[in-house]
Amino acid sequence: MKEKVHNPTSAFRIGVVITVLVGSALVLIGRAFDLQVLRKDFLQDQGDARALRVEPVMAHRGMITDRQGEPLAISTPVDSVWIQPQTFMTAQSQWSPLAKELGLNMADMRRLVAQKQDKEFVFLKRQISPMLGQKVMALKIPGVSLLREYRRYYPMGEVAAHVVGFTNVDDQGQEGLELAYENWLHGTPGKQRVIKDRLGRVIQHVELLQKPQPGKNLTLSIDRRLQYLAYRELKKAVFKNKAKSGSVVILDVHTGEVLAMVNQPSYNPNTRKGLKASSFRNRAVTDVLEPGSTMKPFTVAAGLESGRYTADSMINTSPGFLKVGRNLVRDAHNYGLIDITTLLQKSSNVGASKMALSLPENTLLHMQEAFGFGEITGSGFPGEASGIVNTSPHWRPIEQATMSFGYGLSVTPLQLARAYCVLANGGYLKPISFVRQQHPVVGQRIIKTKTATAIRTMLESVVSHDGTAFKASVEGYRVAGKTGTVKKLVNGQYSDDRYQALFAGMAPAVNPRFVMVVIINEPRGKAFYGGLVAAPVFSRVMSGALRLFDIAPDVTTPDRWQMAVAEAHL
Amino acid sequence: MSVSLANFGIADKLASRRTRQAINVDRKLLLITLIIILLGLVMLGSASISIAEQQTGKPFYYLWRQFGYVSVGVFLATLVFAVPIAVWQRLGPILIMVSMLILLLVFVPGLGRNVNGSTRWIGFAGLNVQVSEFAKLFCIIYLAGYLVRHTQLVRTELKGFIRPLLLLQVVVFLLLLEPDYGAAAVLLATAMGMMWLGGARFSQFAMLGFLVAAALALLAVSSPYRMERLTAFLNPWADPFNSGFQLTQALIAFGRGEWLGVGLGSSVQKMFYLPEAHTDFVFSVLGEELGLVGVVIVILLYTYLVLRLLRIGRHAEQRELPFHAYLSYGIALWIGLQAYINIGVNMGVLPTKGLTLPLMSYGGSSVVVMCLAISMVLRVDYETRKGDRLVQNKKGIV
Repeated sequence: MKEKVHNPTSAFRIGVVITVLVGSALVLIGRAFDLQVLRKDFLQDQGDARALRVEPVMAHRGMITDRQGEPLAISTPVDSVWIQPQTFMTAQSQWSPLAKELGLNMADMRRLVAQKQDKEFVFLKRQISPMLGQKVMALKIPGVSLLREYRRYYPMGEVAAHVVGFTNVDDQGQEGLELAYENWLHGTPGKQRVIKDRLGRVIQHVELLQKPQPGKNLTLSIDRRLQYLAYRELKKAVFKNKAKSGSVVILDVHTGEVLAMVNQPSYNPNTRKGLKASSFRNRAVTDVLEPGSTMKPFTVAAGLESGRYTADSMINTSPGFLKVGRNLVRDAHNYGLIDITTLLQKSSNVGASKMALSLPENTLLHMQEAFGFGEITGSGFPGEASGIVNTSPHWRPIEQATMSFGYGLSVTPLQLARAYCVLANGGYLKPISFVRQQHPVVGQRIIKTKTATAIRTMLESVVSHDGTAFKASVEGYRVAGKTGTVKKLVNGQYSDDRYQALFAGMAPAVNPRFVMVVIINEPRGKAFYGGLVAAPVFSRVMSGALRLFDIAPDVTTPDRWQMAVAEAHL
Repeated sequence: MSVSLANFGIADKLASRRTRQAINVDRKLLLITLIIILLGLVMLGSASISIAEQQTGKPFYYLWRQFGYVSVGVFLATLVFAVPIAVWQRLGPILIMVSMLILLLVFVPGLGRNVNGSTRWIGFAGLNVQVSEFAKLFCIIYLAGYLVRHTQLVRTELKGFIRPLLLLQVVVFLLLLEPDYGAAAVLLATAMGMMWLGGARFSQFAMLGFLVAAALALLAVSSPYRMERLTAFLNPWADPFNSGFQLTQALIAFGRGEWLGVGLGSSVQKMFYLPEAHTDFVFSVLGEELGLVGVVIVILLYTYLVLRLLRIGRHAEQRELPFHAYLSYGIALWIGLQAYINIGVNMGVLPTKGLTLPLMSYGGSSVVVMCLAISMVLRVDYETRKGDRLVQNKKGIV
């Protein structure tokens, strides 16, 4: 063999190689120690700065219930889809299934992303069902995330819409009691520290920094069943009389609680798209009207309280009209010499005017103000109107006369109902509440119990077959009330064909529990009188209310025969 | 592996006549290799789970593919084990030509695959092969043969020192064209080490080493993106969201790991913060999940692997099997250098290069070639010990 026996590598050279390798290993271990022990705080801070984020923990809004605890507004969990435009741009190929799931237009989506491309957080679609949210996330599109939100759901829909109101997409109260009790209802979101991956998805919850404070529940004074009944009857009446709008208010006589408040037209708070803002108005609180003859009991109250009149006082209304200055006050018929009961029963303008004119100048105004007219009721309802009473220092006699039968001042239906409560509860003006009251409500005495009782007795005669509002009667119960048929002011003139039909009443008459005001605005059917248009609504709703609240009948032997005769007459 | 060898029946005649104990491979080397491979699979599974889920919808996509590559690697390794070392020695000059050829194939349109700006793969029949991995092994085989053929020349004359390096320069040049800076550096450093162990004179070695370093420096400066990478490594915090992004994320991973790690599977950095978490930067995820303890264990595993490979080479040299020895030395240097460089890159002591962590990083070509290389050293050990027995037998007869 030409090859020599191999001369091995020297141990020195191998030794150098091993030394270098083991040395490198030691250097690397040293570096690892440096990174993982000595500099760990700095490196972890850097890591946290990139991955640790503080996220809100959504707190749900308090529930609104009726007085029995039945839900009127509940927050249900929903998901909102949001995108990080930068990341989202990289996944254009996956856009079309996403657009399909969310029902979005591809072109709109492209425009949105292009517009907001330098933003970090853009909502793509708000408030979808959690199930659809799961589907969207299953598409696994980079830059697409869900945000848990809460959406308000209103089980009673249009029936309680005006009272309850609604929230906007950000869960803030916008209308009604949702707005009034915003601070009470709204939850305070908590804060949590999370670790997010680089695509912005939460991969770990580290700690809760601040507990979310869920909103508090709110129990309204509304009774769901009564509310529904009132809504149904009002809607029917407005439709039947071809009216423009209408309101019903039912109050608890002793507490001033609003048991039901409905208006027409209404709206569905769950799907509010394309609705006119006017239908959002809670007319019973925000709209004023001239109350007309429904004011006469307060004129009578002023007369009785003045001491110049008693329940048996007689007033001569002949010849059926009264000249006041250059103006004429008319009655429908010449009633002749009548007592005060008849004045109310027949709704004599002349009688009311005479009574008012015989009193000192400010007596009527003071009485109206004492009954709460011209000031808000204290219900706290957003946008509540105060109405106007005539407070001019020098009145012309005609102003005093018209005021006595309800013209020349404006009131809200709620104010009217509140004032009737004073007659019903024996003389106390009580604050109005939309929230259920736990304790007896202290009121302010404004007339003598005797006066209230007397007027109540007189008002019972209105709901007899001789009165203007026999149709307001409720079988088995005694009902007291007063009709009103008000000419509307159109361009400064009292119109001859536009009316508001009113009925304000209470039951049971001896010891009333409920006051109800019914207003039908601009009935365009054959009938337009309050006794024909508004009174039947009162009758049906009140009869339901008395039954629902288990009120004992106060007519022991209802005179069915008498009623039948009366009905035949009408 | 011995069992599968027996099953395949491809061991040589001598082996087949012996008991299983007689054909036993170096158990320590085999064991350490299997430990690294298994640990690698576990870490790869953990590091790739999120990215695989996001890219393919299958969280274990990369794990299963790597498992397939390892299986292929082990299978091919058993075949390679059956090939006598002498065959490789004879093939040496051909293999370096082959490595040049396959490195050229990368540039053939339709065949080469460009990923992230580098053309390192050739694709055929649905497979992408990173040819530089094979080129490295072939060059080591060639150089081991050269050192045996021209021992005296290498040890005495400059010509003997320069000649093989010129040939290697061609390979290095092709690697730089791809570009695969890391593979070129590892190949050159391995070659230097082999020449050193082959007995090249210190002065020549130092001089050429200086020249090579100068050339590499020039290349780094001439290519701006390499320069950027270089400065990023020196102070990654200067520009942590651009050039220093990957490295700072890797360093954060180590920092989060502390002593014992955040626990297997709990890495945050692998959640899309650390790019290449399952390939070149799998070690950072290991550092985060298994902590300093895991890092030290893995560094020691590689050190032990390299020392074992060197020891087998030394044993072969003592049995006058110089090619066996140089082959083992070469493979030891290669695996050791690549492992340390990769770990160094992960920990920010070396500039970022596209180098895999041998046997652990995701990548079929790398893991298969590493298996083949280890298998060759196992064969070296086997043949060396066969020689031992023959010597002992002779002694017994005489």
